[in-house]
Amino acid sequence: MRLIWVAALLAGPVAGPVAAQEVPQFVEETAAAGLAHQFSGEWEYMVGGGVAAFDCNADALPDLALAGGTAPAALMVNQSTAGALGFAPVDSGIEMEGVTGAYPIDIDSDGITDLVLLRVGENVVMRGLGDCRFERANEAWGFDGGDAWSTAFAAMWEEGAAWPTLAIGNYINQREEAYPWGSCTANWLHRPEGTGFGAPVELKPSHCALSMLFTDWNGSGKKALRVSNDREYYEGGQEQMWHLEPGQPPRLYTPDEGWKRLRIWGMGIASTDLDADGYPEFYLTSMADNKLQRLVTPGPDALPDYTDIAWARGVTAHRPFMGEDLRPSTGWHAQFADVNNDARADLFVAKGNVWEMPDFAMADPNNLLLQGADGVFVESADKAGVASTQASRGGAVVDLNGDGALDLVVVNRNGPVQVWRNTGPVGNWLAVDLRQPGPNPTGIGAWVEVRTGDHLQRHEITSGGGHVSGIWGPQHFGLGAATEAEVRVIWPDGRVSDWQRVAANAVATVTP
Amino acid sequence: MQRRRFLTLGGAAMAAALIPARAMAASDPVPVLTNWYKLTLQLVRHTATYSPPVAARAFGYLGVTAYEAVTACNPAMTSLAGQVNGLTPLPRAGTGAHDMAAVLQAALSAAVAHFFANTGPSGQRALATMTRKLDAQVAEGVEAEVLARSRDLGAAIAGHVCAWADGDGGAVIANMGFPEAYVPPASPAAWVPTSLVRQQQAPLLPDWGKVRTFAMPAGDTCGLPPPPAYSEDPGSAFYAEAMEVYTVSKALTPEQNLIARFWSDDPMLSSTPPGHWIFVANDLISRRDLPLEVSVDVMARLGVAMADAFIGCWHEKTEYNLLRPITYIRRVIDKSWTPLLNTPPFPEYPSGHSTVSAAAATVLTAALGENYAYEDFTHEREGLEGRAYGSFWEAAEEAGISRLYGGIHFRAAIEQGLAQGRCIAAHTVALRTLA
Repeated sequence: MRLIWVAALLAGPVAGPVAAQEVPQFVEETAAAGLAHQFSGEWEYMVGGGVAAFDCNADALPDLALAGGTAPAALMVNQSTAGALGFAPVDSGIEMEGVTGAYPIDIDSDGITDLVLLRVGENVVMRGLGDCRFERANEAWGFDGGDAWSTAFAAMWEEGAAWPTLAIGNYINQREEAYPWGSCTANWLHRPEGTGFGAPVELKPSHCALSMLFTDWNGSGKKALRVSNDREYYEGGQEQMWHLEPGQPPRLYTPDEGWKRLRIWGMGIASTDLDADGYPEFYLTSMADNKLQRLVTPGPDALPDYTDIAWARGVTAHRPFMGEDLRPSTGWHAQFADVNNDARADLFVAKGNVWEMPDFAMADPNNLLLQGADGVFVESADKAGVASTQASRGGAVVDLNGDGALDLVVVNRNGPVQVWRNTGPVGNWLAVDLRQPGPNPTGIGAWVEVRTGDHLQRHEITSGGGHVSGIWGPQHFGLGAATEAEVRVIWPDGRVSDWQRVAANAVATVTP
Repeated sequence: MQRRRFLTLGGAAMAAALIPARAMAASDPVPVLTNWYKLTLQLVRHTATYSPPVAARAFGYLGVTAYEAVTACNPAMTSLAGQVNGLTPLPRAGTGAHDMAAVLQAALSAAVAHFFANTGPSGQRALATMTRKLDAQVAEGVEAEVLARSRDLGAAIAGHVCAWADGDGGAVIANMGFPEAYVPPASPAAWVPTSLVRQQQAPLLPDWGKVRTFAMPAGDTCGLPPPPAYSEDPGSAFYAEAMEVYTVSKALTPEQNLIARFWSDDPMLSSTPPGHWIFVANDLISRRDLPLEVSVDVMARLGVAMADAFIGCWHEKTEYNLLRPITYIRRVIDKSWTPLLNTPPFPEYPSGHSTVSAAAATVLTAALGENYAYEDFTHEREGLEGRAYGSFWEAAEEAGISRLYGGIHFRAAIEQGLAQGRCIAAHTVALRTLA
């Protein structure tokens, strides 16, 4: 393994020891940053509203591709400087209508990040040309964009494959005016064929997916596809997980294999290995109670049987935590991220009424749940200054100005996109950027482990999940008071690197 | 004679259920009735406040609305005004011609919009589409003056029923029916929450037994004897009941498993237990070509009886506040036991599905006859095949025992629930309608 590390790009909050559950202060800089964009639309856009955060001009700052619904999608180039966020729209080639969400991924492994645009209508893969310019690549890559209401995405490289496998989740039949219930359309699996993709394989049964994630749920080294489905529209549906064996058709996990039926208004998946036992936990957003799933019996022979620990960990986030509106909440994008750099994953949840549903909260603040040393999360969005009550959908917790403190961007439906700068206090941090030669240059499917003393953090490198929103960039780890850490990588092919010592407050580039 | 027409509203999703059953008049009102009930079943599933008692209440008022709309134009029928609690005389057809289908359409479209005002965007969209298409259908061939007069009458009837409904004590549902807090009594027999869902840490609708009833005098009219006395003694009747649930669950046959799932009828995942019986009746109206007068009579009696059943059942649930099998079995027999079905978030005794199914069977038997064989296709679209029954009571008894198979009720709750449903529905059967 080779390590290259560079110091923080921009000066920011003074990193150092942070008290337990100290709440970082976020300052909304939407207007000052010039981030003027809105995800708009009526019925066909009641779900969706995503953002892709990734560096498209090689300046090491994440730029933003924003879905627009009935308005054109937009690409905002990051012009942030020390102490202030800044964005400027550019003509990038993605300015098309009907976009519900966006995910960044280097599909052709040329070192330039591409984009997958999910749409009401035809999905479009956009080849990155550099300098934040993109061109349509459906025809060149044999990608059949179909014609559906696409609302979920996940990607991985199957063993030995030169091109990724893309999973796309579809929602209800957008043309079903009177009886949308039971009209869930088929999800698609785009597997590689030659220098592109073969015809999409339908993932039947499909149950109105709103989030998908390839994950090594059982530590076997094999990826399975988790799908979170909206029970509002399926009939006979449930949450799903698919086997995906090289060269074999996808196959659902069954009750005989331990799969337990769960039926929720599934809207977003976040995962992280909270207890660093080698098995990720999954946070599933829904309406009213959200779920935090942990394997009942973790281990090499684990069955896909999960228990819900959301209540025990303080993350049910089932109703607004502030204000007068106590009706149940509606959760969308979720993401684990250490926003105070205390070496413990925190949790952001975007909230917002679907659309004039009076049985659910209309003033539904987003959640920022800070994890304490006891593993219990404490609501802090109001104290942190990010408790927006807009109708939020997608989002990204990402270091927008390269100062080592994670910032926040949220896409709202029929409301302005919002962005907040994290001004700290935060602890020390480390960002790990994976690079490998050949296909899958950014190491999707790898595990990154960071050790400080006897404290271990593990991140699975995934592409997908959340709610129609994705991030590509270095993996962020809070280090607390530690001034250095050890890093190792379990690469997608199973190779395990040696532990390497690195200094805090830097981006470490790791190669096999 | 012209053809009875059904709207094609749902493409493949609803096509099977909307295939015309027989030839009838162009202004045949029966498809108006059945189409609105089909949509209502979806709205029950997709409106978050529609737990089973709330659904039953809506079916009660919708049934009365449809019945009174037809009665207003048919002097041979007897209004329910003065027969059901608090219902004052309704508008009647005055001079000038009325079109029955237009009256019924105006009444049902207004009433469904009223009772499902809280449904989500897709429900609102479906409501608007159904209203627009049925409005157009019933208007075909009807003079403008007659159409306007008919619509006015239907709207007036709906307005009358909705105003009556608003005062029954069950119109406003806060927090999906769950109180903000619940402190279980000290008794070991008391119900305690069984769910990890935060919202469900208090019993659903604890005051539902106080809601105004329709045909029976009050919520306590058909009171029940107490369940077996709580005991952890292996020689006690209570222990024996719990052990029966536990033993059955450990050796569940495929047929018992299927029965438990067929009658599961979970809120927000189905049209709920009263919706299950509404589906059966609505399906029979179409398949068996039931006349309009019989159809609205059946739907009114079924809705009224089931609404009363839930009020009476909830009255007893609150009275006895008994713990669920999962609580007792984990406490006394096997701490790792998990039932097949999710345990509902309210007290155990009596079984709501048993009470409502017995009430349904009682009124359907009275209306359509003993040993009325039929097939129940309620969950066909969910992948469960139809089940054949030789009578409504055979189905009701299966619905009752399904709760034991599912591990959510003791036998006494089922047997007493069935008895209570029969008692409650007798008040509905006594209503004068077609005579």
